[in-house]
Amino acid sequence: MEFLANIWQWFAGLFTVTPGWMIFGGWMAAGLTLCIYSFLYKDNPFFKVAEHLYLGAGMGWVFQVTFFQTWKPRVWDALMDGQFVVLIPTVLGLSLMTQFFPRISWISRYGFTFIMGYGAGLVIPLEITTNFLRQIGGTIAPFAGGAGFWAMVNGAIIAFGFICVLFYFFFSVEQKGVVKKASNIGIYFLMLYFGAAFGNTVMGRFSLLYGRFDDLYKYSGSGYFYATHVVLGLLVAYFVLDKLVLSKKNGGQEPAH
Amino acid sequence: MKSTLEKFLKIDRRLIFLALAIVLFFPIVRPLGLPNKNLGKDVVNIYNHIESLPAGSFILMSLDYDPATRPELHPQAIALVKHSFRLNHRIGIFTLNAGATGMIEEIAERIPKDIAPAKVYGKDYVIFPYQPKPQAVMTQLGIDMYAIYDKDRNGAPTREMEVMKGIHSVKDMSLGICVTGTALLDAWVAYVGDKYNFPMAGGVTAVSQPGYGPYLQTGQLKGLIGGMKGAADYESLINELDKGTSGIDSLSLAHILVIILIVTSNIIMLVLKYF
Repeated sequence: MEFLANIWQWFAGLFTVTPGWMIFGGWMAAGLTLCIYSFLYKDNPFFKVAEHLYLGAGMGWVFQVTFFQTWKPRVWDALMDGQFVVLIPTVLGLSLMTQFFPRISWISRYGFTFIMGYGAGLVIPLEITTNFLRQIGGTIAPFAGGAGFWAMVNGAIIAFGFICVLFYFFFSVEQKGVVKKASNIGIYFLMLYFGAAFGNTVMGRFSLLYGRFDDLYKYSGSGYFYATHVVLGLLVAYFVLDKLVLSKKNGGQEPAH
Repeated sequence: MKSTLEKFLKIDRRLIFLALAIVLFFPIVRPLGLPNKNLGKDVVNIYNHIESLPAGSFILMSLDYDPATRPELHPQAIALVKHSFRLNHRIGIFTLNAGATGMIEEIAERIPKDIAPAKVYGKDYVIFPYQPKPQAVMTQLGIDMYAIYDKDRNGAPTREMEVMKGIHSVKDMSLGICVTGTALLDAWVAYVGDKYNFPMAGGVTAVSQPGYGPYLQTGQLKGLIGGMKGAADYESLINELDKGTSGIDSLSLAHILVIILIVTSNIIMLVLKYF
């Protein structure tokens, strides 16, 4: 393990953050961002490359974080210190890997059994308390006294909306008469929620886009040798060339995407 | 006339993308300084809660966001750290999301530079390593946190650190804040907040913000920062305008564009239908 750690340290040392690496990072960030956004114009090989790099880099990052911040200190170092009790969860965890080998995949049931039992025991009582009992209490709390008039009005609207929405999702009674009317009102409450959720979603997506644009602007400076401008120019040049070549090949018709 | 309106409804969507890119990019190059006048009530509640804590209180920050949600959540985390340090609270930072370790590294680098240069690692704040299985970690935090976090992210023993004086579990802490783009805040409320009667607050993306209304109504969350707008609100409250505030210009212009497009296309639809 020490040998591996030494190799890793040597390897990581090659990537000690220097101004040169920072500029390279800027080019990578600007390039990959623009390659991903190029899909908005149309599908292209640069988008595919960036997409696969994203998945690969993400998995690689999670692997090294888990390996060096969890597996090494929690399993390897503990074993080296003589804490053999960590073998129990380690073996249970490793048993899940037998899923990949059909002949011994039955061993994975022991690991799954532990996860299921532990998970259910932990989740069920807490979920009932947090998302069921506490919410019922919260709905009727304003009527228990002490709350102001408007808090009671709000509480009444929430309780009314809650009941109507429940009627909409109650499928064991035919939807007619009072049930139908309550159900219809429930739809309006749901639509209000979806409207609010959609508005927030739009704002959230714009925020993320703004974040990338902010970075692209940073990388467009002379300190990064105009990375954004250069990559954008190259992408535009590619699409122009692609268009010209396509025009010749297909008589101006783009293939359907 | 009618054919022109029909053409408008069939406009190439790429032109809308271009218009959106322009309105989002323009304020970055030429900031407009549009005001942020409506501070969210739930954001003010977190601010007031942190203000009400006595100096030296221990605040646990679970920063569980990755680069995908960085523009919304990183400004929130920075503002919360700045505010907590300003009031001389102790901070413990960690993550239950492997993708967030890089974000925490950035905060760790910025604290001695521009966030709080006077604060000392080990005395005023500590950064714990990433741990998988959030529910197991949360449960253990309520019993004996040193069973998991006996060492910091650099392998130094945490038990002897001055910042950890008197801290054995979340029951000894004053507030927990989870900043996340995942559903981890729900788990924090259930496994730590409700289970140990521990005050929790959160910072989430705008997308998931409406879903936390029930927790705010019942007081299971002391407050909530939602999206970049929430970050801008918090920056206004602590009077430290940063990335959250600078994004408001772009968001405002983009929202105006969307409203114009929605209203225009609906008017055209009505005209085409009734005239």
